[in-house]
Amino acid sequence: MGSAEEDYNFVFKVVLIGESGVGKTNLLSRFTRNEFNHDSRTTIGVEFSTRTILVGDAVVKAQIWDTAGLERYRAITSAYYRGAVGALVVFDITKHQTYDVVDRWLKELYDHAEASIVVMLVGNKTDLAQAREVPMEEAKMFADNNGLLFVETSALDSTNVEEAFETILKEIFHKVQKQKQRSSQSNTVSLASESPTSTAPAQAERRPCCVAL
Amino acid sequence: PAALPAAPLAFTDVNLNSRNTYEVSRRRSAPEHLPHGGTAPAEPAPPPQEPAERARHRVGIAGAGSSFAEFFTRNFFTKRTKELKPAVQSAPGWKLFGKVPPRENLPKDSKIIQQEYEARTGRMYKPPPPSARRKNIEFEPLSTTALILEDRPANLPAKSVEEALRHRQEYDEMVAEAKKREIKEAHKRKKIMRERFKQEENIASAMVIWVNEILPNWEGMRATRRVRELWWQGLPPSVRGKVWSLAVGNELNITPELYEIFLSRAKERWKSFSETNSENDIEDAGASVADREASLELIKLDISRTFPSLYIFQKGGPYHDLLHSVLGAYTCYRPDVGYVQGMSFIAAVLILNLEEADAFIAFANLLNKPCQLAFFRVDHSMMLKYFAAFEVFFEENLPKLFLHFKSYSLTPDIYLIDWIFTLYSKSLPLDLACRVWDVFCRDGEEFLFRTGLGILRLYEDILLQMDFIHIAQFLTKLPEDITSEKLFSCIAAIQMQNSNKKWAQVFASLMKDNKEGDKNHSPAPKS
Repeated sequence: MGSAEEDYNFVFKVVLIGESGVGKTNLLSRFTRNEFNHDSRTTIGVEFSTRTILVGDAVVKAQIWDTAGLERYRAITSAYYRGAVGALVVFDITKHQTYDVVDRWLKELYDHAEASIVVMLVGNKTDLAQAREVPMEEAKMFADNNGLLFVETSALDSTNVEEAFETILKEIFHKVQKQKQRSSQSNTVSLASESPTSTAPAQAERRPCCVAL
Repeated sequence: PAALPAAPLAFTDVNLNSRNTYEVSRRRSAPEHLPHGGTAPAEPAPPPQEPAERARHRVGIAGAGSSFAEFFTRNFFTKRTKELKPAVQSAPGWKLFGKVPPRENLPKDSKIIQQEYEARTGRMYKPPPPSARRKNIEFEPLSTTALILEDRPANLPAKSVEEALRHRQEYDEMVAEAKKREIKEAHKRKKIMRERFKQEENIASAMVIWVNEILPNWEGMRATRRVRELWWQGLPPSVRGKVWSLAVGNELNITPELYEIFLSRAKERWKSFSETNSENDIEDAGASVADREASLELIKLDISRTFPSLYIFQKGGPYHDLLHSVLGAYTCYRPDVGYVQGMSFIAAVLILNLEEADAFIAFANLLNKPCQLAFFRVDHSMMLKYFAAFEVFFEENLPKLFLHFKSYSLTPDIYLIDWIFTLYSKSLPLDLACRVWDVFCRDGEEFLFRTGLGILRLYEDILLQMDFIHIAQFLTKLPEDITSEKLFSCIAAIQMQNSNKKWAQVFASLMKDNKEGDKNHSPAPKS
């Protein structure tokens, strides 16, 4: 196992995408630092955060890429999807427009990421229930039809934030486990990101994407 | 301490406790009237939502004539003092060096306990000899410290003589130790104050040179060695806006009248936008209307997310409408560019230093520079050229770190996008960002990339110990205690020469490669 203070078995790269202002940065800060900032700054480009959680017996380090929501940036941010094993597509339940474009975000995602990427649709800002524009059933049905996980959250009052990230990380973990079983049978694919040793803890970091699904 | 009189303002010190703190000082009276470091009586309490741990960064704006300083003293300051008065008056125990004020419900003041002890034991209370250098340090041990001198409660066995003596001794030691700490702290504060005075004196003398010599002979002097050196030191805030305006120029020949025209167009658009049902419009006119509306929405969204800790661009803040106006007018002036995130930061910095129309003129001209145009049009292939040129100088200047980044496939776009889009105003403390802008106005786009390399150099040792995610996290969220002296000495050490080729030549040859490459094989964006 790793020699440093950071012992982990897996590194999962997860991207946060969705329209500007839906609360991606606050979802992330709620999950990684339990913080919510009413006056958070616009994200330009990409920002990063990590958190390590336990899935079963395995220590999983989530490496989360928080991207800028501006449409115009997509040309440059699409490179950030490479190697991602999970994605949270976030919309604001009080702004229908942010839900309408989920389709486009998904297309963008599937264009640049592995087809096997685990995707979760996240309706954020449930604390503003009185201003809801997107009915939960509608979003849930959309998610079911498209094979996405679905959850509604509030980064402000913490509702479901932990659950959202845990669910997607568990789902990724199970996919990886299945992959591992298959690969041990065929003896061809190795999971390079598993159990970084003291000599190469960096390897998992460098290629979080190498958890091939 | 009494609340500061609202007028006349011999000295004002406004501190907003925030990520980017503005401190406005006008100092005409003798410095000895000043209270000691960080103890300006009118220092406002941080706004309630402000995270206390945020580092304080300061922008000193010294001297009269700065419209910004005047703005603050006129509007902000007076308002703040009024708000603050009750708080100041209701804090009778407010101590000079910010110690926890003894609360009223505390049973005894340590001095009283001590005096009682002296009376009981018959020993004379000898006040500690006041330090000759620091007469104004009124040392007072914390109330709890002196509890050790108290007799035990009646239900417990009384102290023996030896025990009482030992307690006395321990008490004295504690007092001496605490005093030593206080004095050390005070010296540190005094040193900082001295440096600040010195800095402000430098700014004041530089201001005289800028106002009397350089600005009247701008074209003749701007390129001289003396001016360039003075420029590198940082522009005095009172001439900053003026010099930026002159250096950015007005190639686009925008007049204040033209600004008014675009502003009124923007206002009409906002009106119709808020009157019509947006969904109908999307049906009617297709994507362009939707885009434009998205852009208006985005401006609204971003304004409140621009320097949020300053509390001046947010809704209801003094510069909210101004920022809205400049950005709105720009989207009408350049619909081909429109509003792109990052712009709000640039406009905000300009608004802090220039009058409205001048801020717009500088904004439009600045964004018309090749590098800014490439980024704000999100011209991916051009951006990659800039990144490639940056990497040439990165490898040249910091080969070890360059290889380290390479080994993690950590590409410059990860950190440069934020830095270049906002011209460092989001990533660096505001005062430092302004200094970067100063030299950017002098040297052009290459200085933006040089600054980036300066940051990498400053943190090279730390970065070499980090892996991908930690580097990425570190560079997209730089430490808040970064100082201008350290950063600028690192920037100065960066050579913008690559085997005798300068930035512009390196960039030009990369552009040429691209064209030749296009002929040979289909362009595959290397990203």
